[in-house]
Amino acid sequence: MRLNPQTIKQWQRFRTIKRGYFSLIALGIMLLLAVFAELLVNSRAVIVRYEGEFYFPTYAAYLPGRTFGLDYAYETNYRELKATFRAADVEAEARGEPGSGNWLILPPVHFNPFETDFRDDAFPPYPPSLEYGHFLGTDITGRDILARLLYGFRLAMSFAVILLACNYVIGIVVGCAMGFWGGAFDLLFQRLIEVWSNVPFLYVIMIVASVIVPNFWTLVAVMVIFGWMSMTWYMRTATYREKAREYVAAARALGSSNSRIVFRHILPNTISIIVTFIPFSVATGVTALTALDYLGFGLPPPTPSWGELLSQGTENLRSPWIVTSVVVAMTVVLLMVAYIGEAIREAFDPKKFSFYE
Amino acid sequence: MKRLWPLYMILLSGCGGGDSATDQPVVETDGGSGEVVFGDTHLVDNPPVYESKPLPEGLEWVTNDEDPIFASPDAIRGGTFTDYVTSFPLTLRQYGPSSNSGSFAILYRDLPLQLVNIHPNTLNLIPELATHWAFGDDGKTVYYRLDPRARWSDGEPITADDYLFHRDFRVSEYVIDPYGANYFTTEILDISKYDDHTISVTAGFASPGDELIYSTAVPPVPRHFHKLDGNWVEDYNWRVAPTTGPYQISAMEKGRYVEFSRQADWWADDLKYLQYRYNPDTVRIDVIRDENVAFEYFLRGELDRYDLSRDLPSRWHDQAQGPDFDRGYIGKIQYYVDVPQPKRGLWINQNDPILSDRNVRYGLAHALDFDRALRTVFRGDYDRLQHTFEGNYWGYAHPDIRARAFDLGLADRYFDEAGWTDRASDGIRMKDGQRLSVLISYATDDHTPWLVVLREEARKAGIELALQLLDPSAWSNQLTEKTFQISYVSYTNNITPNPWQSWHSDNANKPDTNNITNTAIPELDAVLDRFDAATTLDERVRLAHEFQEMIYETGAVIPSFKIPYVRETYWRWLRLPESYSVRRADEIFAPIGNQGHIGGLFWIDEQIKAETLAARDAGRSFEPINIVDTTWRVQ
Repeated sequence: MRLNPQTIKQWQRFRTIKRGYFSLIALGIMLLLAVFAELLVNSRAVIVRYEGEFYFPTYAAYLPGRTFGLDYAYETNYRELKATFRAADVEAEARGEPGSGNWLILPPVHFNPFETDFRDDAFPPYPPSLEYGHFLGTDITGRDILARLLYGFRLAMSFAVILLACNYVIGIVVGCAMGFWGGAFDLLFQRLIEVWSNVPFLYVIMIVASVIVPNFWTLVAVMVIFGWMSMTWYMRTATYREKAREYVAAARALGSSNSRIVFRHILPNTISIIVTFIPFSVATGVTALTALDYLGFGLPPPTPSWGELLSQGTENLRSPWIVTSVVVAMTVVLLMVAYIGEAIREAFDPKKFSFYE
Repeated sequence: MKRLWPLYMILLSGCGGGDSATDQPVVETDGGSGEVVFGDTHLVDNPPVYESKPLPEGLEWVTNDEDPIFASPDAIRGGTFTDYVTSFPLTLRQYGPSSNSGSFAILYRDLPLQLVNIHPNTLNLIPELATHWAFGDDGKTVYYRLDPRARWSDGEPITADDYLFHRDFRVSEYVIDPYGANYFTTEILDISKYDDHTISVTAGFASPGDELIYSTAVPPVPRHFHKLDGNWVEDYNWRVAPTTGPYQISAMEKGRYVEFSRQADWWADDLKYLQYRYNPDTVRIDVIRDENVAFEYFLRGELDRYDLSRDLPSRWHDQAQGPDFDRGYIGKIQYYVDVPQPKRGLWINQNDPILSDRNVRYGLAHALDFDRALRTVFRGDYDRLQHTFEGNYWGYAHPDIRARAFDLGLADRYFDEAGWTDRASDGIRMKDGQRLSVLISYATDDHTPWLVVLREEARKAGIELALQLLDPSAWSNQLTEKTFQISYVSYTNNITPNPWQSWHSDNANKPDTNNITNTAIPELDAVLDRFDAATTLDERVRLAHEFQEMIYETGAVIPSFKIPYVRETYWRWLRLPESYSVRRADEIFAPIGNQGHIGGLFWIDEQIKAETLAARDAGRSFEPINIVDTTWRVQ
């Protein structure tokens, strides 16, 4: 695929803005880690070798304890299994026999975001400790914070991206239609959008969330219903502007159909606007989900979410590791997204040297 | 610094003042001296007077003045006690719309005296507004001889007409009290007057002896005060009604606080069981919306005590400590009580297709590791509630029923028997392509930690508990319409069981009844009907044990926790009797109550208060106060 030379120039310009470029790399790495979260932060082992066979429990169906010689039928506790293997090997060594050859590899953080880990001598929340494997400590029910941060990050980002995609598709279609057809259609939709955007969307979400318990998709749906209007204004003005340009007139004179004009001529010229807004919409989506979860109107417990962790943190300020980890994580992620957004905006700026430099 | 003072002025000008009442409060204060002038309470031109009937012959009047007093003669009158509620009342009316909600209503409803009350330690009856009582032959009627000295707080005498007026008042269309209207048609059939100081109350159902007193408890309503017309609800929203209790509202700022003042020459001051009680001169109830904030106020000394009985254990163990506690300025008291426990538990809707199978209900009960939740989330502070009739007095509570224990082997067996033998890839059982997943609804986020613990352990049995935290009104709607699967509910429990409303089939499969489990078992109905009709204590106890066993067999409610004590932190200038509190205590430092809370046993020692505050400034310490009293602990 040969890229548009203008796009190549914009990308090179983006790369010169170091702050945004490194933010993009960092965010990319974090997203990659989040995609493979189950291999990095999980209570399931990555590889188990038992009696000559290899097992890969991470993405498979659950393996009951009996598979590995333990005496229960529910899911194997792999941390215990590791200790069991080690104990058996130590015993064998002491007796001078060869080891069993059983081993397993656990992920670097061997807790999942749901399990509650209680110690006999103290009550949660537990502070960060290398000895117990909770690198960022636990929350008030003993769940590992690093696990909940990572899975929460994945959830928040996927929520933001999907929300963004739905909003943009609807917004672009409606906005472009308004700009292209104009006239009565434009007037009608403008009034509709004005009325609709005056509905206090946070209150409506709270009401809906208190009647039905929202899951991921219903929450996306509700937010799309009230948030699709944001892109329409920009698309409308961009379409109006492009429609008045001469190349559109030329295309029309050549006999292009309306859809060809829109898809081939107008939309590609509005991409810069869309792309510029994407990072800020991601930030908005993450913040909206966190805010709803903080208030208790978002995803139901025990979903790992930053808002829920934040709410726990502010109620337990005597255990500062809870609130600190969430605040730092949110700050870092949103800062990076903001830097990327600014860098993109600058990269797409037609003026190379502007007054506000 | 000089240049900043205009900034300070601007900032300070935003502070101070609050919402002042936009309506005229009826209670006006006489600015300078602070003395209260009541609005006129004689609002009815011709208060109703009722006809007398001839008194039946052969009534045996009884009373009780032999039981020991439970207050302390060392009590000192005086001082101001400051407490808080989380929301300002919606109205001062005790009946009618919006009168029953909020923490203030619980407090205020507790203020009036009863005809006959129950001794909080011996459980015998003691006189209050009535001096003597007698039981009628029909087993449903109690006759009361009223104390002729009894007065309302505005000086009007309390007579038999006020009791008969209660009935007209509650059924009146202007008061809009559907529960009251129903109550005085089915639960209380008649109130009769025999002379100005003799009445009788007839209940709808027969009960043995002392229990009948509960069914016939009717407080008087001041007939000279309540003008019943179309504007009653509006007019009486903020009118301070005359009361029979020891305190009366003396000052109020809407949204901020309500202040009660002790009646100086209260007629009941020398009644045996009311002596030495209700000692503070003023009780001030502030409105503090957030409990964390209220606790901080307490630590600063602006609240006299903080009740931690039903707070998360972390506050008692972690936050209620520090130099003020170590130096003895603030004390901690934990007092074991013997009261009917609220029916806290997971109530199961048996109409749900998954949960209609009894094996599933049994399996679920065996899959819930309450002990782990108690040990970890509640730090061993609470006990397991064994069944929902625990704490009923006089032998009604079944002594042997134990809640189903956590046993994965039994859980597996019951689920297998119910046909849930397949397993999904995450270990959850399946049958015909459906997952064994049930929804638990609840209304307060405080319950999430222990529900999470139960959920994680239940996965081992292959059942998935989905948690649904709802807004309180949405949760309540689910109960009313019975559209839930499992709901965490905590019903109040009374001294004697009242199972008909929750377990009889007449209330099943209908909205807005207390039979939320939709239990409809003909044999159980028969036992419940016989229980309601039985008149002797022995027979009622026997039938009570029988229906409790049958309820246990349905498995429709999984009891959760009980809190077998009350515990509070308090500043050391609050003094208690030697026995600290009583068997039936609901709070140790209840300032006002008389019905639900056994109030007014403490007093404020101003000398100790001055001494404590001086010592705090100087850094001197006293002996730390940590009281644990197990006198009334139920084994």
